[in-house]
Amino acid sequence: MSDLLQNIKLIGDQNTWISNLRSVGYKSFEQQGIPSPKNEAWKYTKLRDLKVDDFVISQPTNASSEITLPFDCYRICFNNGWFNPLSSNLPQGVEVLPLIEVIIMRPELHKYISKVADIDSHPFVALNQAYLQEGVFIRIDKNVDLKRPLAIVNHTSSGSDNLFFNLRNIIVLEAGSSATLVEYYGYEGDKKSRYFANIVNEIYLKSGSRLNHCKVQDDAYKANHIAFNAVSQKQASCYKSFCLQRGANIGRNETLVNLEEQEAEAEVNAAYIMDGWATLDTTTDIKHLSPYTYSHQLIKGVIGGDAKGVFQGKIHIAQGAVKTEGNQLHKAMLLSDGAEVDVKPELEIYADDVKCSHGAASGELDEEQLFYMRSRGIDLEDARQLLIDAYLNEVTTKIDNEKVSQWIKLIAQENRK
Amino acid sequence: MKTPLLEIEDLHARVQDKEIIKGFNLIINEGEVHALMGPNGAGKSTLSNVLCGKDGYEVTSGTIRFKGKDLLSLEPEERAREGIFLAMQYPVEIPGVPTSTFLKHAVNSIRKHQNLPELDTMEFIKMMREEGRKLGVDADMIKRPLNVGFSGGEKKRLETLQMSILKPSFAILDEADSGLDIDALKVVSEGINSLRDGQRSMLVITHYQRLLNYVVPDYVHVYADGKIVKSGDKNLALELEEKGYAEFVKEK
Repeated sequence: MSDLLQNIKLIGDQNTWISNLRSVGYKSFEQQGIPSPKNEAWKYTKLRDLKVDDFVISQPTNASSEITLPFDCYRICFNNGWFNPLSSNLPQGVEVLPLIEVIIMRPELHKYISKVADIDSHPFVALNQAYLQEGVFIRIDKNVDLKRPLAIVNHTSSGSDNLFFNLRNIIVLEAGSSATLVEYYGYEGDKKSRYFANIVNEIYLKSGSRLNHCKVQDDAYKANHIAFNAVSQKQASCYKSFCLQRGANIGRNETLVNLEEQEAEAEVNAAYIMDGWATLDTTTDIKHLSPYTYSHQLIKGVIGGDAKGVFQGKIHIAQGAVKTEGNQLHKAMLLSDGAEVDVKPELEIYADDVKCSHGAASGELDEEQLFYMRSRGIDLEDARQLLIDAYLNEVTTKIDNEKVSQWIKLIAQENRK
Repeated sequence: MKTPLLEIEDLHARVQDKEIIKGFNLIINEGEVHALMGPNGAGKSTLSNVLCGKDGYEVTSGTIRFKGKDLLSLEPEERAREGIFLAMQYPVEIPGVPTSTFLKHAVNSIRKHQNLPELDTMEFIKMMREEGRKLGVDADMIKRPLNVGFSGGEKKRLETLQMSILKPSFAILDEADSGLDIDALKVVSEGINSLRDGQRSMLVITHYQRLLNYVVPDYVHVYADGKIVKSGDKNLALELEEKGYAEFVKEK
């Protein structure tokens, strides 16, 4: 690890602010290391085969992404974690800048970097900070209502075996603005390619702003994808997120939401579909820090083969955060005997007069329903697929943007053999 | 010369360790409508499930031929494509699957098997509108999730609608009248009768004679303790209604 870091020349080494930040991140990661199962936050998602030394830091590439999205959007492209200049013109009031440019040229924006995403107790955020360089800075001006989605597309190209890349995106929505952000992580070529993507998003929602955040993790099946989303929400802001996890050997999507002021509302939904020996992990930590704050979570998984689904969901209600409402529901469908799901809901309530709920359920495909469809001539495989689609439909229909929702449903339906 | 469609010979079947069907024989020719009447627990539903290939029913001996083919070696979906249809007593609810999506899959699975081009959405909607009108199934109903929250009458109308669009050569109607009021019963039986074309055969499984006033069978069989104990024409149903099953069950 230390050798790796020394061999890499990161842009902006002359800038004290960034080199300090990197070295703090580096030290913190060195102290924490890759978490072992003894680490409570990583109890179920075992990383024993993940060694940073096995990976090589990604280098800039000229390859351009062929991945197209079937809806109108502003595309922000990365190849193997390296930023490609933006191809379309942005409307007034929308800024999309390479992160490194912000680091070097815009010190007034440093207040958004490494603030809500905390490195303590998050080793991969620390690691991401040690390599801080690639990523975008997005800012939506006051009261701007951006209709067309912004889409961050990272495309891992063929020959990317053992590549390691870190992305840090900063998203700031000024008061009263609204936007849709789509993230897509895909690959091209070898579906066995074993890369390691470590992604951190820091999201700042000022009062009355609204972000609709949809992510699709569609990685090669030996890939490791670890993502941390940290959200800071001011008064009456709304964060609505959905994440589809599919592919990857280890995939973790962790979301921390700080509901800092009254009337802030967060909806964190997710779906995962897995097979083989994968482990897909959804971890949430919703902090109700003010009265009259609201959160809702619905996570649904479909697990086959010898795969393992993990859901760890924490709702924290701080002292004095009265009249808040937090609810959470996780459901998993197990398709095989080898499928496993581990669920850890946690409620930490330090205030009276709050409404809180959590629930978990797991089940199998219903034999009666399968028989009914087969008795009408529908193939067993098609019947299973119809039931799985129906199962996930409950959560995919919660995506606010109709076109994005259709696209995600289609990805969820594709069978990867 | 009559052509046999379904030939069941000395059928024995069990559920887990319990033998339910104990030497069942029946031949149904093309175009015939047979009624199978029997008391609770006679094994009527077991028979329809065995005919459709549901898991959990083990045939221990005997044969079933359908259009001359060995039916027991086929999967449920293959049987459906060969032309067998079971209108269920309790159609299952499938939340999240729109009725129309399900129907389109079913129609196209069967058309594909018959080497007919699959229907596109427009053609499908047109067909649904025509067939649905006859049975009082409107566009709103088929947008809803399959059978979810449907009343007893709506479920039975939908079963009948499926039969009319899938056009099976052999239909099993399992307690098609249960839970129907008199108006719904008329609609459903008209639907069933409109499918009697001299070619298509039916097996009407029922407790009561009531349905047989509307769907008049060619033959009536009394089914008790796993086999047919008496056969006759439509008058046998009236006799049963009068005397009850006790006498026939004794006869064995």
